[in-house]
Amino acid sequence: MSASPSSLDELIDALRCLPGVGPKSAQRMAYHLLQRDQRGAARLARAMSSALEVLRHCERCNTFTEDTVCQRCANPRRDPSQLCVVEMPADLAMIEQTQSYNGLYYVLMGRLSPLDGVGPRELKLDKLLARAGDGSVREVILATNFTNEGEATAHTLASLLGARGLTVSRLSRGVPVGGELEHTDIGTIAQALVERRSV
Amino acid sequence: MALKQRIEQQPAWVLHTLPWRETSLIVEVFSLEHGRAALAAKGARRPMSALRGVLMAFQPLLMDWSGGGEVKTLIRAEWRGGQPLLTGRALMCGYYLNELMLRLTAREDPHPQLFAAYEAAVSALARNEHFELVLRRFEVALLHELGYGLALDAGEDGAVRPDGRYRYIIERGPVAMDADGLEWVDGACGEDDLPLSGQTLLDMAADDFSRAETQIQSKRLLRALINHYLGGQVLQSRRVLKELQEL
Ligand SMILES: [Zn+2]
Repeated sequence: MSASPSSLDELIDALRCLPGVGPKSAQRMAYHLLQRDQRGAARLARAMSSALEVLRHCERCNTFTEDTVCQRCANPRRDPSQLCVVEMPADLAMIEQTQSYNGLYYVLMGRLSPLDGVGPRELKLDKLLARAGDGSVREVILATNFTNEGEATAHTLASLLGARGLTVSRLSRGVPVGGELEHTDIGTIAQALVERRSV
Repeated sequence: MALKQRIEQQPAWVLHTLPWRETSLIVEVFSLEHGRAALAAKGARRPMSALRGVLMAFQPLLMDWSGGGEVKTLIRAEWRGGQPLLTGRALMCGYYLNELMLRLTAREDPHPQLFAAYEAAVSALARNEHFELVLRRFEVALLHELGYGLALDAGEDGAVRPDGRYRYIIERGPVAMDADGLEWVDGACGEDDLPLSGQTLLDMAADDFSRAETQIQSKRLLRALINHYLGGQVLQSRRVLKELQEL
């Protein structure tokens, strides 16, 4: 690759910062953008630099916004006593789609992952603790993923928030709606048995 | 290149997974007959992948893989069952076990005894047994299995006496205080000297961690030994746990 011009090298190298993109795919992307889609490339460059310039984390919920406080957090019709904690903006979007939650959110932008070196400092958990302890929140709903990392995050938050006098709940897990036991994976059934509830 | 072989129905545990390419994972596993191995799980990050919910740490699995290179190709993984997920403090302890396995064991170095010790430790964590005891027992088993020659019931001065006072010298073993011309005076011997009672050493050799003194002294000794064999690598799981306790 050393024979190619340095700005091309730089582009290929820059593309490698994308998750899952190795040297081969980065090279393919660079050639595509430069050879077949220069307008697309220019648009991508503009969008990237403007996003970098105007986007910041909402002071209240930590998701991306162009304002200090995002529109959702500023909406007076939402219930400020409930705070739902999710890992990523995509998780927030899913819960919003259910149209069955009217409280506010906090987006962690990740999850605790001790083996990857992601701890409370990397996740900026103090920001969440300050937000949850601002006096308006009464219940924190933990909606992190049902992976080991999501579980570790939920457990940690439950003890930290519980110690601060907040009511903490966790999304329940079990057999999917409309799911037949015969076609549900065994791990899910086993966990649903462990977490069974009286009726 | 090693001979391409196909492994079938191999009992294994996932130690860690890393995203690989757009939709795949590299899975580090510890297996009964093949030790630690790196497996490429192709498409495991696709939304509908059957592997997605199966390739989780702390779950007993049966796995099929093939290939002769450094990274093998995962063909199948199924749940062996019989164990709930780890939660809370047990989960944090589980991460510590996995990090020790990742940092101290070599790939393709079979250790069936260590596999049994790992399996026993994870299921004890799942049953919420005394976590510190589970960890100590596993640490002793790990150091033994990796051939670090943990000397517990005898040192260079002969058999360890329960009423004796010892100092543990790494890579040498327990040395009786009096033999060394050192007098045991509480406080005169720093923690770095790893002071131990003979009873602690004998308890550790007998896998009995019920005494409070044994728990304190064995924790200190094992931590020093593990740090020594880690050769300066920092355990991320230990750092994260410490930071969490400071919040
Ligand atoms: Zn917001």
